[in-house]
Amino acid sequence: MTTTGNSIFDFRSSIGNWKSSINAGPNKCRQIRARLYRFVNSSLGLDASWVQNHIANCPRCQQRLAAVGKVELALSLVKSQHHHLDLLMRANVQAVGVLKHSLRQAPKAQKLKKALPEPTLSEKLSKYKHSAANVAACFAILLLMKIGVFSSMDKFQSRSQEVFKQYYAKHIGQDLADEIFPA
Amino acid sequence: MFDKAVSYGLVRDFSVSETVDESQRWILSVMQKHGQELVTMLWRILGNDQDVCDAYQSTFLHLAHCQSGQKPRHVKAYIFRTASNVAVSMLRRRLVEKRGLSAAIAGGNSATAVPSVDAVQNRFPSPANEFDSKCLQDILRCYIARLPEHLKDVITLHDLAELPYAQVGRILGISAATARVYRCKAIQLLSVWMSKERQE
Repeated sequence: MTTTGNSIFDFRSSIGNWKSSINAGPNKCRQIRARLYRFVNSSLGLDASWVQNHIANCPRCQQRLAAVGKVELALSLVKSQHHHLDLLMRANVQAVGVLKHSLRQAPKAQKLKKALPEPTLSEKLSKYKHSAANVAACFAILLLMKIGVFSSMDKFQSRSQEVFKQYYAKHIGQDLADEIFPA
Repeated sequence: MFDKAVSYGLVRDFSVSETVDESQRWILSVMQKHGQELVTMLWRILGNDQDVCDAYQSTFLHLAHCQSGQKPRHVKAYIFRTASNVAVSMLRRRLVEKRGLSAAIAGGNSATAVPSVDAVQNRFPSPANEFDSKCLQDILRCYIARLPEHLKDVITLHDLAELPYAQVGRILGISAATARVYRCKAIQLLSVWMSKERQE
């Protein structure tokens, strides 16, 4: 109950924040919808703490959840089992075989009879995933190093200016030092 | 044996297919564009190579004879719905045939009985087979075939053809939100059936 109360409080505060941002631009609707979706998912979904607490103490809900999990598992098993590579070709041959003679003789039909499944763009790019991640990591390190070097340079320059200013102030006077090194 | 019988049956049903006009070359383009997705969906629904080929052929023959050979306005929606319906009808017919055959054999010689869906389901309560991949897939297919039409369409298009909800909604003429609700209901129904099966 306390958790639900907190969620409602969070929701109200979120609404307060949204109200202030509603008039900020015309594309806020999408952001608000996304936030609302995230909020509903986090507060009312299966991962919400109050749901998990209930499931931990309720055998019937545990059974229901297990049954739903089993259906999802079966669906993922069905999806993970791939067909033979030549199935598309055989299906095309069978389908083209019952069309009219002129269609069967078309160059496209001949091409279809030899068609093999082509990997999608994401599948093609998946082999470059690790290389891309490595390159991105290298760029990130270079960027951080560059930022670090430049910030150190700035710090070094300001410190050395202070040292020289103190030296001149000691030997030729504060007024002249202020003139040479203006703040 | 039954695979061959149904295969020949389909060919016989569509023996009029030679009337497809030459101007229907767009059918080949559709086959080239959506063939791979269709085969994947049919494979997931049927799980059998010959059935996939038959359902695929049947889908394109329906397309060729649709609206007196004219190209439908939404070709993708048409072929996906047709393929899904053809595949599920085929699945239901298979279940009925196998059930009838196993019942007939059980009455006669039980030693030569072929594995039926009932036999598969009887394996299910065993803890050793509970997570048997093949068994689980067969049972899921069996229950998908039993789902009401509107729920079955969403499950096949969203989960087996992996189309997004927006596209499923457009194909079925419903909103994406309704498609989500139907999918949720279908999963609930499947989970109830599967858990009941286990308890029995």
